[in-house]
Amino acid sequence: MKIAKLVGRNLGRRKARSVMTVLGVAAALCLLVAVDSLASGLAGALQSEDGARSLVVYRKNRYCPQTSILPEHYGARIAAVDGVESLLPVQVFLNNCRASLDLVVFHGAPPEEALAQRDLRLVAGSLDGYVSERDGALVGRSFAARRGLEPGDRFRFGDVDVRISGVFASSDSTQEGVVLVHLAGLQRAARRLGSVTQFDVRVAEGADPKAVAQRIDALFATAEEPTDTRPKSAHLESATADLVEMLRLGRWLALACLVVVLTLVANTVWMGVQERVRELGVLRAMGFREGHVLRLVLGEAVLLSALGAALGVGGALLVLRFTHISIGTEGIAIPLEADAMVALRGAALALLAGAAAGLLPALQSARRPVVEALHA
Amino acid sequence: MSLIELRGVTRRYTKGEHTVAPLVDVDLDIEAGEFFVLLGPSGSGKTTLLNLLAGIDRPDGGSVVVGGTDVGAGRSKDLARWRAAHVGYVFQRANLVPVLTAQENVEMPLWLTDLPAKERSRRAALALSAVGLLERAAHLPKQLSGGQEQRVAIARAIVADPELIVADEPTGSLDGESAEAVLRLLARLCTERGKTIVMVTHDQHAASYGTRLVRLEKGQLTAVEVAPR
Repeated sequence: MKIAKLVGRNLGRRKARSVMTVLGVAAALCLLVAVDSLASGLAGALQSEDGARSLVVYRKNRYCPQTSILPEHYGARIAAVDGVESLLPVQVFLNNCRASLDLVVFHGAPPEEALAQRDLRLVAGSLDGYVSERDGALVGRSFAARRGLEPGDRFRFGDVDVRISGVFASSDSTQEGVVLVHLAGLQRAARRLGSVTQFDVRVAEGADPKAVAQRIDALFATAEEPTDTRPKSAHLESATADLVEMLRLGRWLALACLVVVLTLVANTVWMGVQERVRELGVLRAMGFREGHVLRLVLGEAVLLSALGAALGVGGALLVLRFTHISIGTEGIAIPLEADAMVALRGAALALLAGAAAGLLPALQSARRPVVEALHA
Repeated sequence: MSLIELRGVTRRYTKGEHTVAPLVDVDLDIEAGEFFVLLGPSGSGKTTLLNLLAGIDRPDGGSVVVGGTDVGAGRSKDLARWRAAHVGYVFQRANLVPVLTAQENVEMPLWLTDLPAKERSRRAALALSAVGLLERAAHLPKQLSGGQEQRVAIARAIVADPELIVADEPTGSLDGESAEAVLRLLARLCTERGKTIVMVTHDQHAASYGTRLVRLEKGQLTAVEVAPR
């Protein structure tokens, strides 16, 4: 505690330098947390609980909802396939098939079936308007927060004009970025009457999802619009492949952030100890041991990075919490999930980088002969 | 037995291609309670000798025994512990930590003890009181004059109640009045508290406060007669 008092005061000697270092560390940590949040969001989306028993029937060789067009009447034949428990025809309408920070995704589906098949928990408003009114809609929690939508609001996008009946949460994070509307209304707005983008299939308990997928695809193998049926997790993996690539780049950026933290802190601490070589020598002459000097200098490095981490991680958490940023591709919105683990990981990495940055100047200061330090 | 015993002490430095030996086979005894003054020209090895006594440097040959401890041997951390308990060092400049108050600066050597905060604070206040600066306890070094800073440094040197106080030209950067105050303070510590003072100076007036004067020149010590003050 006694050394800690000096650690804190020492950072106040060159306030501007310390503040700039802390801000630099904070900026780097903000970026690092953003990348980690995307990784966490992506991992969460791909590890959806019901992924194992859910299949997505898509148009073969199509990779974007705007080009996947299947006749709606396929539904009846798919529902009759052995092992299919339930089926949800879904028309997807979106503003952008490529990677986007402001993805708007409408899922048009029969309301009762959507409520039965999807894991939705109403957090505001009511279901009545959605079920009974043709322009009723439910919006996912993160989309509502991002767009500032509340029950009773109207939301218009292109030719789609809906009234928000309620806001829902879901254990499937990708659902929380979706606007759920009536199938017929969306088909009209998208000028795709009689067709859907995909069928969400629920496999019966005990049935082999792979075998069910093969049976479905075999039904339409020679049709004009052949299907490609995959487990939901595989479908998501395929749809988010671009994001995974971006994430790979993001991880390099995160590594660069850590190097920035290390360099900033090392530079500041190094300059700090160079300016007071004699003072550290006086401490040693007084009886302070090498370990005390080591702790003092390391403490300064760790405190700088801790302040930066607190500011950067805290700032990133606040921004992500209140803006509900998500990144979408091919109609799948991946929320940036900054949970406690992401925060702890960011802070721990910053502290480790700070300690590593302070190690060399700390060792050099601690091991410098006292007489040499006093003559500096 | 003397408080300080130097036997056959040699200290050499390498400067570039040359080896300098400011101390060659030096023998010296200093009794407890002495105000010992070391005189000599610049570069004669006065500070080197002081550093050896304070246990922050080691001889290349011979032994330096202070209060029964061979301070030329032992591990670095053991010597640091020994210094904290037995030596107070006063430098030419006060070398106070600029971000700590006078009280906190004085308290620093006590950080190395197990004393509770209250007791540390009490002892620091006593030390500041002894140098006449208790009312300046909350001031930062930049708010003190040069003489006051040096007195705070003396308070820092005595706060842990060491037997030995080494002072390396403690008045070298002070004006006449401040220098006089510092010298009187050191003399009082010697006469009233029984501290052993070893002071390096090249100022004859400062030297006149000593009870024994020795000149160091060309690696050898020679006694100097003390003129009565």
